[in-house]
Amino acid sequence: MSVNSLHIFIPDLCGLGLSFNIGGLGLVMAIISTYMWIQTSLFSVEYMKHAAKKPRYFFFLVLTYISTTLVFLSDDVYTTFVFFEIMSIASYVCVIHDEKEKTLRAGGVYLAVAVIGGLVTLMGIFLLKDLVGNLSYETLRDMCEAVLHGGNTSKIRQLYIAAGCILFGFGAKAGMFPLHIWLPMAHPVAPAPASALLSGIITKTGIFGILLLAVRVLPNDSGFGDVLCLLGVITMLLGGLLGIFSMDIKRTLACSSMSQLGMIILGCGMIELLGEENAIAVRGTILHMVNHSNLKLVLFMAAGVIVMNLHKLDLNEIRGYGRKKTALKCVFLSGAIGIGGIPLFNGYVSKTLLHEAVVEYMMHLHDAQRAGLFKAVELLFLLTGGMTVCYMLKLFICVFVESNTDKKLQDEYDKGRKYMSPLTGAVLFVSAFVLPAFGILPFLTLNRIADVSEGSLYGGALEHAVNYFSLENLKGGLISIVIGVLLYVVFVRKLLMIKNSDGDLVYIDRWPKKLDLLTLVYEPVLLVILPAVFGFICRAADFLLDGLILFLRQTTHSQLRERKRIPEGYLRAYYLGTITNKLEDLCRSFLGKGKRKNNYIHILAGKQFVLRESHRVINASSAFSFLMFAVGIIAVVIYLLLA
Amino acid sequence: MSYSISELITITFKADTLGIVFSVFFAFIFILVGTAAKEYMEHEGGVKRFYVCFFLTLIMLELLCYAGNFFTFYLFFEAMTFVSMPMVMHEGTHESVMAALKYLFYSVGGAFLTLFGFFLFVSKGYELVFTAGGSTGDMPLNGIELAAAFLMILGFGTKAGMFPMHGWLPTAHPVAPSPASAVLSGVITKAGVFGIIRCIYYVIGCERLKGTWVQSAFLILTLITVFMGSMMAYSENVLKKRLAYSTVSQVSYVLFGLALMNRVAFLGAVLHVFFHSLVKDMLFLSAGAIIMKSGCKNVSDLSGIGRRMPVTMWCFTLCSVTLIGIPPTSAFMSKWYLGVGSLESGIPVIRWLGPVILLISALLTAGYLLTVSLDSFFGKDRSGEDKIGDPGFFYRLSMLILTALSVALGIFPGHLSGIIESIADAVIR
Repeated sequence: MSVNSLHIFIPDLCGLGLSFNIGGLGLVMAIISTYMWIQTSLFSVEYMKHAAKKPRYFFFLVLTYISTTLVFLSDDVYTTFVFFEIMSIASYVCVIHDEKEKTLRAGGVYLAVAVIGGLVTLMGIFLLKDLVGNLSYETLRDMCEAVLHGGNTSKIRQLYIAAGCILFGFGAKAGMFPLHIWLPMAHPVAPAPASALLSGIITKTGIFGILLLAVRVLPNDSGFGDVLCLLGVITMLLGGLLGIFSMDIKRTLACSSMSQLGMIILGCGMIELLGEENAIAVRGTILHMVNHSNLKLVLFMAAGVIVMNLHKLDLNEIRGYGRKKTALKCVFLSGAIGIGGIPLFNGYVSKTLLHEAVVEYMMHLHDAQRAGLFKAVELLFLLTGGMTVCYMLKLFICVFVESNTDKKLQDEYDKGRKYMSPLTGAVLFVSAFVLPAFGILPFLTLNRIADVSEGSLYGGALEHAVNYFSLENLKGGLISIVIGVLLYVVFVRKLLMIKNSDGDLVYIDRWPKKLDLLTLVYEPVLLVILPAVFGFICRAADFLLDGLILFLRQTTHSQLRERKRIPEGYLRAYYLGTITNKLEDLCRSFLGKGKRKNNYIHILAGKQFVLRESHRVINASSAFSFLMFAVGIIAVVIYLLLA
Repeated sequence: MSYSISELITITFKADTLGIVFSVFFAFIFILVGTAAKEYMEHEGGVKRFYVCFFLTLIMLELLCYAGNFFTFYLFFEAMTFVSMPMVMHEGTHESVMAALKYLFYSVGGAFLTLFGFFLFVSKGYELVFTAGGSTGDMPLNGIELAAAFLMILGFGTKAGMFPMHGWLPTAHPVAPSPASAVLSGVITKAGVFGIIRCIYYVIGCERLKGTWVQSAFLILTLITVFMGSMMAYSENVLKKRLAYSTVSQVSYVLFGLALMNRVAFLGAVLHVFFHSLVKDMLFLSAGAIIMKSGCKNVSDLSGIGRRMPVTMWCFTLCSVTLIGIPPTSAFMSKWYLGVGSLESGIPVIRWLGPVILLISALLTAGYLLTVSLDSFFGKDRSGEDKIGDPGFFYRLSMLILTALSVALGIFPGHLSGIIESIADAVIR
């Protein structure tokens, strides 16, 4: 714990009392949250000018802000969880603001993931609370270590299950594979300021929770570290891939968020794996959180300016919009360069640190096989960096360099009409200014941030200061850039663009529609299979006693016993019909489907009548045939006798 | 205060903390629902008839809260069933009369089960006076006494809608007028819970039941009910029936907490009595408002109604969020205590299975309530012709008070949980 921190405990509020710790990483993130909220609110003024239900939007924006900030400032698991849940619900209302069908579907997925994640986390917290009793962050690490080294296998198992449950909820918020589904859906449909907050700061609360697990619940646990690394690598690769394929500017940015968050989760894994020497990993993780927030603020607001003017997101439609708009171009470019990890911008610094962390772990390893594995992780990290460069290039070239295939539209775009208010412009510039400022002077800015906050994560001492601009580190950045440019030239230009009928190159969506985790797995399982199976079992249970009473009333306790006249000659139809009637009644009451429409006794009696008639006809006709047959035979016999 | 009927049977009244808290709460809910009921019943007809039964029920409930021994309790418990029955068949249709009869038979049948325990313990010379910690000795229970205890739990469990005797709830609620469903679901089921508390903690003594098959069977039944109720609610289309199944599930949260028989779970259970009562009364009132104004009874007809009845649906949404147990609303508090208490109890398997089922049920709660409110706000508006609006001032007022309380008690539960903790200290040693 940092020395300069202020602990506040409010007893009895929300039952157990809420406690806050103002200092360290939490304070840094809270300040960023405040900064982002101010920027997005100012941006909202123009963006939401013509939107309906503004009070609702701003109310929930404020609620989201307060709860997000308090998540970062919380000092025990309970407080974190309380505000985490409030944040999830409040941000939902911001996401679905325009209430269109697509928005509502995306919002529904977001809400479902949030609710399921929250409940699973709650289960984890129950288990954790049962193990350690006191959930305060100050004592949590020691208590969990005591459990881990206590040797009681059932308790250790419970701790792992608890950690897994908590990881589920926070990981879902952090866009971790396989719970990332909401991220690429919710961002494109949300209002741009909400997207910026969602991507920039709300996903960070998920990371905050994962960090809590990594440094407090399972400190220096290599098994958990491996899991985090694996999930991180999958998330960042998948995010990058989806980003390259995406056809929608905000979706690309959302996938980019997923990819960057994957990197951060990898960083969390490295914190675990490096053990005592995790200083670089800690600093890298923290700084990438900080940088990613700032970057996504700029990028989403820049995208927001486009959406605000055009109300379109498709790359083919917005193509060429920014050609003559220098201010917007500069702002977007600085964001793109920053997130691409190009030196002298902020993203480079944190990516370098994360890269260093992986390399350092590799050097510590003696096991050749494992070292090879982490060599692969390092390469994949660089590849992801390349992917980032690639999709950013795709966006930038599409919107700001190329001209639209529709000449009239391009002229319209180039007319130089006013496209943002001075306030929005100022907000964009301030946000964009931060990026190179952090990148050029990392020693003055980013290093200080890391110094302040690393204490909260029990970071070890830094062995040597990292020279961000050394040849070795610049090489890593350069490799990524080269990969990115290659990917763009070879993959995007050749495979993701085709010539249309006029001979112009246009972007096409080559991602197979079927390959969607949500429609392929989650929806069938959660909405069809499970409810059907359990619904059937529960219906049976629900019907148990009522069914018994019904059965008794029909058989032994029948109250109204009227003598029924059985129609003469239709005995079989009567009994069979009664049984069928009862069976259908039973099935219907069991399945809850109204009253029976037909009386089987009548139907069967009718059938029996027909049967009897035809019987008679057949009998008669066959009797006649036999007669004729006999006549014939007699005739034949007489003929034979006479011949 | 006591009257003797015969040597063995006396009618005794006594005011202990539990009874006082419950009686004040019941009266409070009745006043709020009664305020709202006026508008609804004027719409439905038969105001006087309804109010007579309504307040007779309240009187019986109050007397039941202050009952000092088992016999007195039983007396008013049965009386409450009889005076509340006319409210179910208020409409007078064939369906409602049959539903009322079902309610009557289930309740009376359930109450008869409890008599077995009463006779057994009386025959051994105990007076069955309600005393914190038990009034039937300290000896471990033998086989027949355990069976009697189980039947007593099952009997009161009928009123509380516990599987397998929950059948009356989903039948009686949809046909009763909404204010009546509100008190049936919110208060009268709680009388069953109150009976179980008296039975376990004041007559038999929870220490004697801990670790026996009775406790395990009770726990398993409650968990089945919790899951079954929410699953049935999830697949139900009639709004009031959905709420009724939800009650089946939620009241068994309370019973689950009582069955765990430890302090934390007891606290959670009793808190959930209050919170669920507030929320469910409010939900039934809003269902009533919808029926009164638009005539829609099915969930699938409700899309877009939130735009025309904003106050009603906002209350509905907030209460849904509460019932799911999303912090900082009140039901989160009780769920927290139930979960922690369950893990603390140390009963193999059930200690973790309990919270898992509670949380799955919470998820289903989100599935059956939140979808309604989302659909009502964002769904396509069906018909714009008829004038549908929020109900009158007093109706809105009681809905707002109930909603405000169900949210605020989660943020400031200090005083209430303090009182219940003191009760828990007395009954659980």
